[in-house]
Amino acid sequence: MINEHYTLANGTPSRPQFSCRVPLSNSRQLFVVNGLVQETGKPFSFRLQAGKMMDELLQVISVRDDQGPTLLDVNTEFVFGNGSSGRLLCCSHAFTTGSVTTHETVEIHLEENACAEIIVMQHEHNEAHHQTRYTIHQEAGSQLKMTFLSLQGCVIENEIEVNLQGRNAVCDLSGLYLADGQQQITNRINVQHLVPDCHSSQLFKGILDNEARGRFYGKITVVPNAQRTDAFQANHNLLLSEKASIHTDPQLEIYADDVKCSHGATIGRLQPEELFYLRSRGIPKKEAELLQQLAFAYAVLVKIPNEVLRERMMDLVEKRLRGDC
Amino acid sequence: MLTIKDLHASIGDKEILKGINLTVNPGEVHAIMGPNGSGKSTLSAVLAGKETFTVTSGEVKFQGEDLLALAPEERSWRGIFLGFQYPIEIPGVTNVNFMKTALNEHRKHQGLPPITAAEFLKLMRQKMEIVEMDHSFSSRGVNVGFSGGEKKRNEIFQMAMLEPKLAILDETDSGLDVDALRIVATGVNKLKRPDNATVVITHYQRLLDYIVPDVVHILYKGRIIKTAGKELALEVEQRGYDWLIKEL
Repeated sequence: MINEHYTLANGTPSRPQFSCRVPLSNSRQLFVVNGLVQETGKPFSFRLQAGKMMDELLQVISVRDDQGPTLLDVNTEFVFGNGSSGRLLCCSHAFTTGSVTTHETVEIHLEENACAEIIVMQHEHNEAHHQTRYTIHQEAGSQLKMTFLSLQGCVIENEIEVNLQGRNAVCDLSGLYLADGQQQITNRINVQHLVPDCHSSQLFKGILDNEARGRFYGKITVVPNAQRTDAFQANHNLLLSEKASIHTDPQLEIYADDVKCSHGATIGRLQPEELFYLRSRGIPKKEAELLQQLAFAYAVLVKIPNEVLRERMMDLVEKRLRGDC
Repeated sequence: MLTIKDLHASIGDKEILKGINLTVNPGEVHAIMGPNGSGKSTLSAVLAGKETFTVTSGEVKFQGEDLLALAPEERSWRGIFLGFQYPIEIPGVTNVNFMKTALNEHRKHQGLPPITAAEFLKLMRQKMEIVEMDHSFSSRGVNVGFSGGEKKRNEIFQMAMLEPKLAILDETDSGLDVDALRIVATGVNKLKRPDNATVVITHYQRLLDYIVPDVVHILYKGRIIKTAGKELALEVEQRGYDWLIKEL
């Protein structure tokens, strides 16, 4: 079902202890260490043959450790053949003692009527810099659902370019970024509607504490003749401290006249009325604030269709918000 | 149980409560009535610990303890419950999680272990029956998409779950049709015990047909201007508040 570039690891690899080691039910795990597949020593790539339906989730666990270079370039390609359907969880971790930088390019190609669900979970450490450029091409009738969870890392930059180049392609992007300390998280998105009758949506939400900084640039481009485009974009942010900041920059560039496009951005703080309501029922302030944050994050997490995966991600987000991971 | 002495409270520079005196004993039902802007909701919010208001002078003792020194959650653990006039919607937090968290915090305070999932579901089902609430509400976001009546029923359901010693119901009747009013009032009556007390804040006598008060207070411009038995509510219904104000 998956091409010959790698074989799946048998048994539990001897990597460091971390939550992703615990396999989810109905999933297969693949470890990529310092940019190379652990079993084969080769770079990772993924191709799902036409018509194939992956029944298992493939979890690609990318790990940086002290054996690798300080600056690592990684190029990955994901191809979903005609009419295929697959689900991936791509997570990145760093187990280095010092600072590391990763420059990554990810090409994702959905051929006609392919259906893909991809979750990107970024969970490195306070001295890790990670830049990723995602270039996505979608052919007619393809459907992509992609969720970005940015949890840990000194500097995280995601540049996401989507090219909807076949009619009736659907692209649903969502993201949740949680930043504290001096973390910096940037999401730069450009969804290009190149042909008529495509749908796209972007829902990105962020919770920023301490001196964390966030940036969101979200663009929808609708070229001339890409009629009946339906595009949506929203970016909502919760600032928990005086010094946390977010720069949000929604943009629409529309050159067709029969389109439906909307965008919205908000920056807010925890609602005192909600907080009082929760506390009046006996929930202590800290716990009530956590509930509020989880509630804020919920709209993104609920987009993960698979229940097992959704609950795992919810647990992880809760741990992160509690400062437990 | 509750003793309020010369309570003054402000929001910003504006004084809203101007010397409230009130005593509530176990087993009693008190009604607080009064025209708009008299300070009814402020009084309930101050008792529950809302930080928007500043208490400038006076004291409130609850079972001998200085209530004003306590955080809202600590008041809840000691048995204060506020039924909100406008219950807050919290998308993303389900009713189940909300109540389970609240109940377990109460239990922690009582030195009890967390409730088991099975016990909790059983308890929840029992308490939902009191207000004729459909079980499907439990998995929905707190008050999200609830009608006015459903929100108020949810308040009484929460009260049933937490079994407070003193329930303060702020305009629980507002926005209710007759059926919802009956359900809510019946719920409150079912929860009445000799060792707990209820303060009902209302605009209209209507609710008091169902929840019969022992004492009725009239609040006007931040002070209680008259206290009498339940017949006072009927008199207010017929004659309005003007005659009371003129008596001042």
